[in-house]
Amino acid sequence: MFAFILRRLAVAVPTLLLLIVLSFLLMHLAPGGPFTQERALPPQVLANLNAKYGLDDPLWRQIWNYVYGIVVHFDFGPSFVYPDRTVNQLIADGFPVTLTYGTLAFLAAVLVGVTLGTLAAIRQNGWLDYLAVGISIGAQVLPNFVMAPLLVLVLTLWLGWLPGGGWSFSDPSFWIMPVIALSTSYMASIARITRSSMLEVLGSNHIRTARAKGMPERRVILRHALRPAMLPVVSYLGPVFVSMITGSVVIDIYFSTGGIGKAFVDSALNRDYAVMMGVTILVGALTILFNLVVDILYAWIDPKIRY
Amino acid sequence: MSKLFTTTALLAALALPAQAVQPAPGETLADSQTYTYWLLDAIKTLDPAKNTDVEGSDVLRQLFEGLMNEDATGAMIPGVAESHTESEDGLTHTFTLREAKWSNGDPVTAQDFAYAWQRVVNPETASEYAWFLELMNIQNATQIIAGEMTPDQLGVRAVDDKTLEVTLTTRTPYFLKTLSHATTFPVPQKVVEQHGDAWTQPGNLVGNGAFMLESHNLGVDITLVKNPNYWDADNVVMETVRGVTVNDNNIGLTRYLAGELDRVQIPAGQYPRLSQEYPDQAVSIPYACSYAYVFNVSDKGPEALKDVRVRQALSLGLNRDIIVNQVLQGGQKPAYSWTHWAIEGFQAPDAEIATMTQEERTEKARALLTEAGYGPDNPLSLSLQYNTDENHKKLAIAAQQFWKPLGVNITLNNVEWKVHTDRMQNQDFDMARYAWCADYNEATTFLDWFRTDGYNSGKWSNAEYDKLMADSKTAEDTAPLYKQAEEILAEEVPAAFVYHYSKVDMINPTIKGLPTQNVTNAWYAKDLYRVAE
Repeated sequence: MFAFILRRLAVAVPTLLLLIVLSFLLMHLAPGGPFTQERALPPQVLANLNAKYGLDDPLWRQIWNYVYGIVVHFDFGPSFVYPDRTVNQLIADGFPVTLTYGTLAFLAAVLVGVTLGTLAAIRQNGWLDYLAVGISIGAQVLPNFVMAPLLVLVLTLWLGWLPGGGWSFSDPSFWIMPVIALSTSYMASIARITRSSMLEVLGSNHIRTARAKGMPERRVILRHALRPAMLPVVSYLGPVFVSMITGSVVIDIYFSTGGIGKAFVDSALNRDYAVMMGVTILVGALTILFNLVVDILYAWIDPKIRY
Repeated sequence: MSKLFTTTALLAALALPAQAVQPAPGETLADSQTYTYWLLDAIKTLDPAKNTDVEGSDVLRQLFEGLMNEDATGAMIPGVAESHTESEDGLTHTFTLREAKWSNGDPVTAQDFAYAWQRVVNPETASEYAWFLELMNIQNATQIIAGEMTPDQLGVRAVDDKTLEVTLTTRTPYFLKTLSHATTFPVPQKVVEQHGDAWTQPGNLVGNGAFMLESHNLGVDITLVKNPNYWDADNVVMETVRGVTVNDNNIGLTRYLAGELDRVQIPAGQYPRLSQEYPDQAVSIPYACSYAYVFNVSDKGPEALKDVRVRQALSLGLNRDIIVNQVLQGGQKPAYSWTHWAIEGFQAPDAEIATMTQEERTEKARALLTEAGYGPDNPLSLSLQYNTDENHKKLAIAAQQFWKPLGVNITLNNVEWKVHTDRMQNQDFDMARYAWCADYNEATTFLDWFRTDGYNSGKWSNAEYDKLMADSKTAEDTAPLYKQAEEILAEEVPAAFVYHYSKVDMINPTIKGLPTQNVTNAWYAKDLYRVAE
């Protein structure tokens, strides 16, 4: 197992380097640059800007300087659009926000989703099943960009219970709407995957054996069915967790949370090269990390799997 | 006009010292003096030399104070400058500064202005608005930006602590009007040098405006509090100003209605409904921006658009009344000139198109196209490029429909913002949507765009026009020249002007002192106060 982890981490380095080079090239292929504006800058001013940010160097040197800065100084460079801040600062400001509401939303989605899915499977074709399936289909078809304005309308304007947006680490009332809006569709998917996987497991031989031994149903479900039923769910959860904690542009836009999701999309639209690279590397590294975590969890859940 | 201003406004100002707007008799102040307003996006920078956008300027105007301020009608009033003299040839302007302090208690000196302006043109600063000092015609600005001279050779000099002397390369009628622009604000040299790029962060930032920076959560909110060291602090009523970012305009409106915001932009198309429901809150204020479809008449442009008759026909065919009344619905006005109608001292040109009915225009457009050899039998095909935006899309579709009956087939070309800009600047388009907003309240801010060496992405060029604009620099009365220039634009149609903007907002009626007459919409929180409900 240990050797497996080491091997995976060793592959991660060239993977990230490849990601950096490819993103860098793709980014520079897009028309326009960070300083392309409605009113064209005088050539001399543009030249000064390009010189200041090293954008007048050949591309290979830019990539080299960039990677060198990261590896040696852990410096992701300056933002072209937010000149008062560095990319390190922008990520340090935005990522904790996204991490907070993303993790909470993830936990909510898993808890509610797995519970709903399990209940639906146990009471297959009963009213509980129809209700759970109904809720998850409803949550699935209601996209978060529809849900978000609805939440603000109801919870802020009509009921006056929650602030309509913004962010505070000390006041959980700011967290509730982002968590609800972000978790629902994931919750629905988790519920559906859990349900079908659970149904399959419940029909398998070892469950029949357990029941035949007279084991209480609760124990059958929790001890013998849930764990194998979780395998497909866990493989789904790895990438989902990464995408939830690295942000949702919809959540950031509708609730003005200041998270990293909007920063990422903006950086692409603004051609804010360094911010875009910084977030790309963050997402890339987290994806590699959590794919590894999922593989380790697999081995723990399913004793048949050996690395 | 500029002469008139320098004499009247400043003399009046000397007689009656500049003061913040005060509550009228009978108004009771609210206990909490807080003003919370909507921001569409994050404030990108609080460095006056690096700011490029309107929302940034709004905050900077509270944190810093330039030589001049604007009053509620957009007229210039003294800021840090107490008085001003201009040399006979118009090349030397001398300002006497008032006793003012930075928020850390240091005195504001002429050297602070000289340092700030030198910093803007210094290539090391790489200011995106360095061109603004070229626009002000400050001596040597161009050479310094190009790296041919050093920043200390800029035509700005601190004669002593309270006297600032500015040297221009040419007489500049609008010079004083540029002095309320954020790029010209002073910055504290000590603080800038001590903290580097981080000098604008809360705790570091030192300003000379009526407010100080309390906190700034990027993309969430920014909070300013009253500056006790401001020279006119005794007359400032407002205590706290908060800008709250809400990226979605509709949610912004919901949050305004929930009482979280005191001012928000009205989302497109909702003004008629809201002005019915909330007549005391929905406002439509003229706003100095113009919207146009620019024709590419360069070598890279289509042959047809080089024919002035085709351009005239396309302009005539646009039903601007439908665009403003049915599509935009927010008090915008049809544009038959490039300069916004509400710009101070601007006289609209005598353009035939403005007085015709749409039927007459369409008929004339048909005749012109036939004359140019186009019509239903020989249809003209062109593309119209616009950047991704619901409103631009609606307008482009409307234009496509207006032009179709004339036998003009339009391909709509929707591209992302940076691509749009890049293509326009490289003349890689047929027709493209464009908008320009005034940098200062005078017609040249618009008219300079069409000079041969102006931004002018369609590459239209007209010697007579260039001469008029050059002559206007030294003219006593510039209005007739601007009017003639607009008449050339109306005749030559380098672009089809579509509409003049208005700012359509919901404003909490308890907030007083927000300007509703100023076309640049420059507002000062020092003039605001909240009355009890």
